[in-house]
Amino acid sequence: MNPVAISESTILAIEDDPVLGAHLHEELQRGGFKVTWCKNGRDGLAVARESRFDVVLMDILLPGLNGLDVLAKLRESSSTPVIMMSALGAEADRISGFQRGADDYLPKPFSMAELKVRIEAILRRVALERRRQEAPAQQVGALQFNEQACDVCCGERWAGLTLSEYRLLDTLHRSHEEVLSKAFLYQQVLQRGYARHDRSLDMHVSQIRRKLKAIGYQERELRTVWGKGYVLSAAEVS
Amino acid sequence: MPNRHSLFWKLAILLVGFCLLMIGLSWSWGRHMETQNAYLSDQARITLTDYAAEAERAWKQGGQAGVDAWMADMASKEGTWVNVLGPDLQSLSSTPLTPEQSRKITFLRGIDWPVSRRVIGLPWMRVPFVEHPEQGLLVIELPERLMPGRYRLFWRFMTNGVIPGLFTLLLCIGLYRMLIMPLIQLREQANAWRADQLSGRVASSTTSRQDELGELGRAFDDMAERLQGTVVLQQQLLRDLSHELRTPLSRLRVACEGDADAGQLRERLGREIDCMQRLVEDALQLAWLDTERAPPSKEPIQVQALWDMLAEDACFESTWPSTQLHCALDASCWIQGNLNSVAQALENILRNAIRHSPASGVIRLDGRRQGDHWLLWLEDQGGGVAEAELERIFAPFTRLDGSRPGDGGFGLGLSIARNAIVRQGGRLWAQNTGQGLRLNIQLPAAQP
Repeated sequence: MNPVAISESTILAIEDDPVLGAHLHEELQRGGFKVTWCKNGRDGLAVARESRFDVVLMDILLPGLNGLDVLAKLRESSSTPVIMMSALGAEADRISGFQRGADDYLPKPFSMAELKVRIEAILRRVALERRRQEAPAQQVGALQFNEQACDVCCGERWAGLTLSEYRLLDTLHRSHEEVLSKAFLYQQVLQRGYARHDRSLDMHVSQIRRKLKAIGYQERELRTVWGKGYVLSAAEVS
Repeated sequence: MPNRHSLFWKLAILLVGFCLLMIGLSWSWGRHMETQNAYLSDQARITLTDYAAEAERAWKQGGQAGVDAWMADMASKEGTWVNVLGPDLQSLSSTPLTPEQSRKITFLRGIDWPVSRRVIGLPWMRVPFVEHPEQGLLVIELPERLMPGRYRLFWRFMTNGVIPGLFTLLLCIGLYRMLIMPLIQLREQANAWRADQLSGRVASSTTSRQDELGELGRAFDDMAERLQGTVVLQQQLLRDLSHELRTPLSRLRVACEGDADAGQLRERLGREIDCMQRLVEDALQLAWLDTERAPPSKEPIQVQALWDMLAEDACFESTWPSTQLHCALDASCWIQGNLNSVAQALENILRNAIRHSPASGVIRLDGRRQGDHWLLWLEDQGGGVAEAELERIFAPFTRLDGSRPGDGGFGLGLSIARNAIVRQGGRLWAQNTGQGLRLNIQLPAAQP
């Protein structure tokens, strides 16, 4: 991952469970975040309105004020990224959480590693959005990126990528052989949170591979890095 | 327009018929009673004829004096005006008629004439002598007690009130039996459910009806059927699930009581938690697939790309070389479905095939277009299952021990796959190929 300035990142965790809350607090602090921990929805909303956070982590079932209501109220005044956490897990909750403007949803139980991946994905996306003006991608090798057409070509042959596929390939291309997590790619390319059963990104990857192969581009390939994400890197000599 | 068996027609015929019957009845009975009540009763006629005979006798025996005496006697007996007239219409008594009386006797009624109630005062009757009617007649102001129609009010009450009332009551009972009894049955049925007796069904007298209530009864039974099925399934699921959860829990307990070092224990813990989490997620997913009614969003999916994606994952998981997973479909095979559901279904089927295949087995995906659908099939070389088990492998928590190589899994994969495919409007079924198992998937085709 790019060196996202984790040390300066502030996180507000709203979690009523004392054990999980304490664990979150401790682990995230150890991970280098500045963490504020609120134990109920009302306090959480007040704190979130008072000061600026980079990411808000919030349970859905909270005493005082329901997490979804906190999110709705928070969205009236701020666009701080919010990650919802819940043991409810159901598809329906995920949808209603997103409809009310959550950036990601993490079903419980989750590992700290998974949580950190999600937080970093959001921080990185936000950082990219702030920078906004990116230099046009450097052309490496035979693959030509065409921003207007949203497509790539190799020699005279166009790959015929869809918009999402182009954005995905472009993002991977710009990251210079760095492995990008699925959580980040979902945030950056598909603008939504990553869920275990969501296969859209994998499907896009599969299509990009097929299309690159079809135009005879073999210099670099889109590789899966198990447990981490995807990378566009030099093809292995087989 | 209500159909031929609709309740509308029954009600319409019943009510219109009833109204006409009531109007007819009260009209004809009213007429009948009116005429009945206009005539003197037989009793009254006999009484009057007797008086005439007495008067005749008094005239014959006593002449004027006899008539006087009889009249005095009558005056005390009946209290109404009485006179005995000769053929010349002059009084046979000693007192002549007053002019008023003379005027009145110009209109006298015979005893078999109708008597109108509308006459002011009491009517004057003429009763000729019995033996010699030509010799005279008795004129009598009809005594109140002999007036016809004394029970007129009573009869009017009967014909206009009680009898229509009784008929209406009968109609109500009929309607109640026809309309409300089935509803009561339904209510009892619903109450029975509250007591968890889901096997109860509405009586056949209701469900065999052709009308709307019959339809309601059948719909109700249908609902009971589905409800019972769901409840049985859920109970089964819960039982199986708790059984499955006990296995990792008991392993954890053993690990906890044993004296493994922290590292081993941690590793063990992680493994068992993963196992339990997977089980809970799979079971919940199965339950959602069952209960979710909103149609999933659909998109065209290229099966070849989907297969590449799934095969890559499967090879990584199973450490199989990618050459053992073969897709015979070309790029033109596009199906319409929800990507996540179809991917999961195919992934579960593929995992199942790998799990039950020998290490060097080849798994093949092939298919052909059938009109609006694609029929895809996935064949393994795992030896297949007994014919009798071909359907049972789709039931949750089914594991066919020993019949095929491989183990692991909770027996939920194919259940989830089937539910997911069915929710896409497709079908999933299994057949033996001799070498192994073939799972057929039928899904709607799509244009890319």
